[in-house]
Amino acid sequence: MSDVLDHSGLPEEELLAAEYALGVLAGTERAAAEHRIARDPGFARQVAEWEQRLAPWAAEIPGVVPPPQVWDRIAGALPPPTPDRGLWQSLAFWRGLSLATGLLTAACVAALIYLGTLTQPQPLVATIEGDGHRHFVATIDAKRGMVAVVPAAFSADATRVPELWLIPADGKPRPVGLLRADRTVTLTLTAELAALAKGEAVLAVSLEPPGGSTTGLPTGPVIATGKLTSL
Amino acid sequence: MDLDANRSLIAAALGRIPAGDRTALQTVYRLTSAKLFGVCLRILGERGEAEDVLQEVYVTVWRKAADFDASRASPMTWLIAIARNRSIDRLRASRQSRNMAPIEQASEIADIAATADHALEGLQEHARLHGCLGSLATHERAALRGAFFDGNTYEELAARMAVPLGTMKSWIRRAMIKLKACLEQ
Repeated sequence: MSDVLDHSGLPEEELLAAEYALGVLAGTERAAAEHRIARDPGFARQVAEWEQRLAPWAAEIPGVVPPPQVWDRIAGALPPPTPDRGLWQSLAFWRGLSLATGLLTAACVAALIYLGTLTQPQPLVATIEGDGHRHFVATIDAKRGMVAVVPAAFSADATRVPELWLIPADGKPRPVGLLRADRTVTLTLTAELAALAKGEAVLAVSLEPPGGSTTGLPTGPVIATGKLTSL
Repeated sequence: MDLDANRSLIAAALGRIPAGDRTALQTVYRLTSAKLFGVCLRILGERGEAEDVLQEVYVTVWRKAADFDASRASPMTWLIAIARNRSIDRLRASRQSRNMAPIEQASEIADIAATADHALEGLQEHARLHGCLGSLATHERAALRGAFFDGNTYEELAARMAVPLGTMKSWIRRAMIKLKACLEQ
């Protein structure tokens, strides 16, 4: 690049960062830039700044839903899950955790019995986690259109309330209802929501003004999410 | 979907990946894979290759999520950069860019901003970038488009626009200098 015409205004280093972020480099020049990103934090930051400047352009590229087998291949390429990520291990973890644990376990069991006993389809469970904490455990009985949500490590906020959202495969959050930090809440699912509540859907909790979001979408921070899994 | 909610949802999920949370990666995938597949497809021009690269992109996200700093970058910017770079790596490894049709400066697509998907990238950021791109000379904007959307190298852009390599380098660098100055105003 050094033979290129003089450009007053930006140092050579920053122009190189811009060229890398734009993607015009090839061969050894591209490899050298990548090597430098790995070793030189100042250069890496300049590249990131250029990526930030250019990224909004990608809004002009239409989204295309990839075929489902792509996720299967990604999941297959990940290292095997560590054993302590499963729900039952999580329950065991809580059991040893604190004084609230006994109550929590009892509440979970009660919720499962309440929702699960009479119905044919298996109930779905989501451990709703964020920031390293398990905030809630939700159990969904889609057939009866009910969801029971048990608070775990969630602590209340004086000004905002936790609101539950269902995010099905299309990625759009649907409001389910408001949660409580101090007790289990049982919410009714509309037929539309119940149909969307199946494996691969995600439950999320956001913090909303008292009374909940009025826009139909989360307005406050999403503090925890969890995937629905069959028991 | 509300931009801030989406952004915090993606950022929160990225933050849980370094602890080995596969569900968090799946959340990121669910919220962003259509956009990133669109990016890969645009650069690579072929579905099979774009699917392979999309897989590489999310395995990279899994390995590098700890590098993502929510206080410094937007999660979509970070993800789009990974998708573009993995796609460009694939192009460079195999052959020249898919789109090598001559770029007729005069026939540059006028304005497709109206079709832009603002759900993931902010409306404001896009409008600002679009305005600054509009202030560039037509040939400069056309060259940047070929690089950003088709993954062209300097050599390929020079061929597509039928100018010497040195001229193309000069156009691109000058355009980037102007772009930065405009965006910082």
